[in-house]
Amino acid sequence: MAWREKTAWITLVAMGVTYGVYFTLISRQSLSTLSMLELFAVVTVLQVIAVVTVTSVLAALSSEEARAKPDERDRAVARRGASIAYFVLIVGVITVGVVMPFRDSGWRLTNATFFALVIAETVRYLTVVVSYRRGWHG
Amino acid sequence: MGEGRVINQLRTLRFLAGEMTQAELGAKIGVTRQTIAAIEQGKYSPSLEAAFRIALALGKSLDEVFQWETEKS
Repeated sequence: MAWREKTAWITLVAMGVTYGVYFTLISRQSLSTLSMLELFAVVTVLQVIAVVTVTSVLAALSSEEARAKPDERDRAVARRGASIAYFVLIVGVITVGVVMPFRDSGWRLTNATFFALVIAETVRYLTVVVSYRRGWHG
Repeated sequence: MGEGRVINQLRTLRFLAGEMTQAELGAKIGVTRQTIAAIEQGKYSPSLEAAFRIALALGKSLDEVFQWETEKS
């Protein structure tokens, strides 16, 4: 498995678990602003720690792969992921910034923005993983 | 022009070039072993520059390494 596919999997899983917990909790419970901020901070820190720890362990086990610069396939796959995620993000931004303000406000808008970012990033890493798995001829 | 895909003889030519490994070929042309594996499996079409580098590393012309296969409808 290519090094950048491994790191994409790590980020995807960590992001799915941590932000999955965050958005599930805030959608089911009515949290105060402070509780929500604390939960968001905890989730973000846990995600960063999980990604850094697992990536560091894998890098130590396969140091040569981890040190290698991205080659043309890595760059092509990354470009594809970013360009598809961009459109997802644009849809999210339009929804949050143009449509939602007519019926929502405050933290719902903030969380919807986070959600749009997380979905866009998830699509980016999913595209990367799928492109490595199934091939990409871009 | 009909649909088609790039096919290659990389695996055979590597074998004929002194059983060169994917990692060795990758190192020669500046890509990872996994990218050479992806090219061999038809999962990635290299850039024209990389294709020329591969052909050069194997001592072959470009069309001896890569061919265009038209899909039958």
